[in-house]
Amino acid sequence: MASLSATSLSFKAPSIQSTRIYQVLRKPSSFQSISFGRFQSSKSLRLQISCAAKPETVQKVSDIVKEQLALSADTALTAESKFSALGADSLDTVEIVMALEEKFNISVEEADAQNITTIQEAADLIEDLVQKKPAA
Amino acid sequence: MRTSVMSQMQRSFSIDLPSLIPLQLPSRRETHLWYILPDEVKSTSLLKRYSQFLSPIEKDRVDQMRGDELKKNALLARTLVRTTIARYQTNKAVDPGSLMFKKNMYGKPEVDWQNCKNYNVQPLHFNISHTDSLIACGVTVHAPVGIDVEDKERKIKHDVLAFAKRFYTTDEVNFLATILDPEAQRKEFIKLWTLKEAYVKALGKGFSAAPFNTFTIQSKPGTEGGYSLCKTSEVTANPLEKTEECNGRWKFDLLELAGSHYAAVCTEDDQADEGAPMRVIVRKTIPFVEDQLISERIFL
Repeated sequence: MASLSATSLSFKAPSIQSTRIYQVLRKPSSFQSISFGRFQSSKSLRLQISCAAKPETVQKVSDIVKEQLALSADTALTAESKFSALGADSLDTVEIVMALEEKFNISVEEADAQNITTIQEAADLIEDLVQKKPAA
Repeated sequence: MRTSVMSQMQRSFSIDLPSLIPLQLPSRRETHLWYILPDEVKSTSLLKRYSQFLSPIEKDRVDQMRGDELKKNALLARTLVRTTIARYQTNKAVDPGSLMFKKNMYGKPEVDWQNCKNYNVQPLHFNISHTDSLIACGVTVHAPVGIDVEDKERKIKHDVLAFAKRFYTTDEVNFLATILDPEAQRKEFIKLWTLKEAYVKALGKGFSAAPFNTFTIQSKPGTEGGYSLCKTSEVTANPLEKTEECNGRWKFDLLELAGSHYAAVCTEDDQADEGAPMRVIVRKTIPFVEDQLISERIFL
């Protein structure tokens, strides 16, 4: 079970898929995203290091997911929780995305909406879109 | 027509399964639609026996499901696919557990015939869909198939028209807007959802290949459950110039299953037999236990 802490790094099990590393510097009221580009490990073991979105974002996403899927309030959800493992089908996923759009005042492309599979992915997408929004 | 094979076996504690009853492949213009009602499968020993057919990856996925009901349904879904496909091998008895699957380059699952031990290669296509209370599998030959099932009573949390405006085409929104009763409107929304999902799944190229707002599905007048597909041109700003390519290449049927679900079936008409009607044969099943023929429908 992933623990969300202020250090904001979460390590996944070795994965051959992606070797990019992102580092998010956490400051009290804002965050900055730095991408280091591709990182090739010299060892055969490759780590995918991804940084969790803000804990508050993950929590808000979890709340919306629980509501949409009618999960009990004490269902333990983590950032890694997969929508499909919770019983969500494509209609649920789209409804979750619509609720997230309303909550965070963002607009998600349909292709992105259908491709979200975990709470983490939803939170990351939200923070990405929020950050990109032009100043009102 | 009901074929019950092993009712006496269910009484024994550890069960040995009889051979699967073979099936004739669908003809070119047929879709076989199989479904399981999870509530009807109660025997834990039967479920345990089913789990022995699953690959390690499938078992992992079942274990990842949160809660016993979701685990059971995931198990039944894989069992339905494996046992159904195995039954179409009529020349010999094959082990549903030795079927191998792969994904096409867009992620659509298909049979990996080359790696299946003892299986004869067949031009068989399948697609599955499930809800909390029903699991369905469609099978065709020569033409890809997509199916989607939804609970008729499924509530939409958002305003139906707002949802449609966001994701559907203008024509579809206009159609839904003409339905004044909210319940009836919700039902039509769900029907459209299943039809659109079935098309995208039949196409097999992922959701980005056919965003929901780029094609309209509308009912065919004079048919019961018949629908046609029209693609909207993305280029036109002037609604009067809107070009729609409505072709008969993709066939749709919308049916009700078990009194509780809408099921949309979409398959490609290879037009080898121009004008000949297409059929859907619906059967309810409990693998190794019984089949029940539900209906044979003709759709255009």
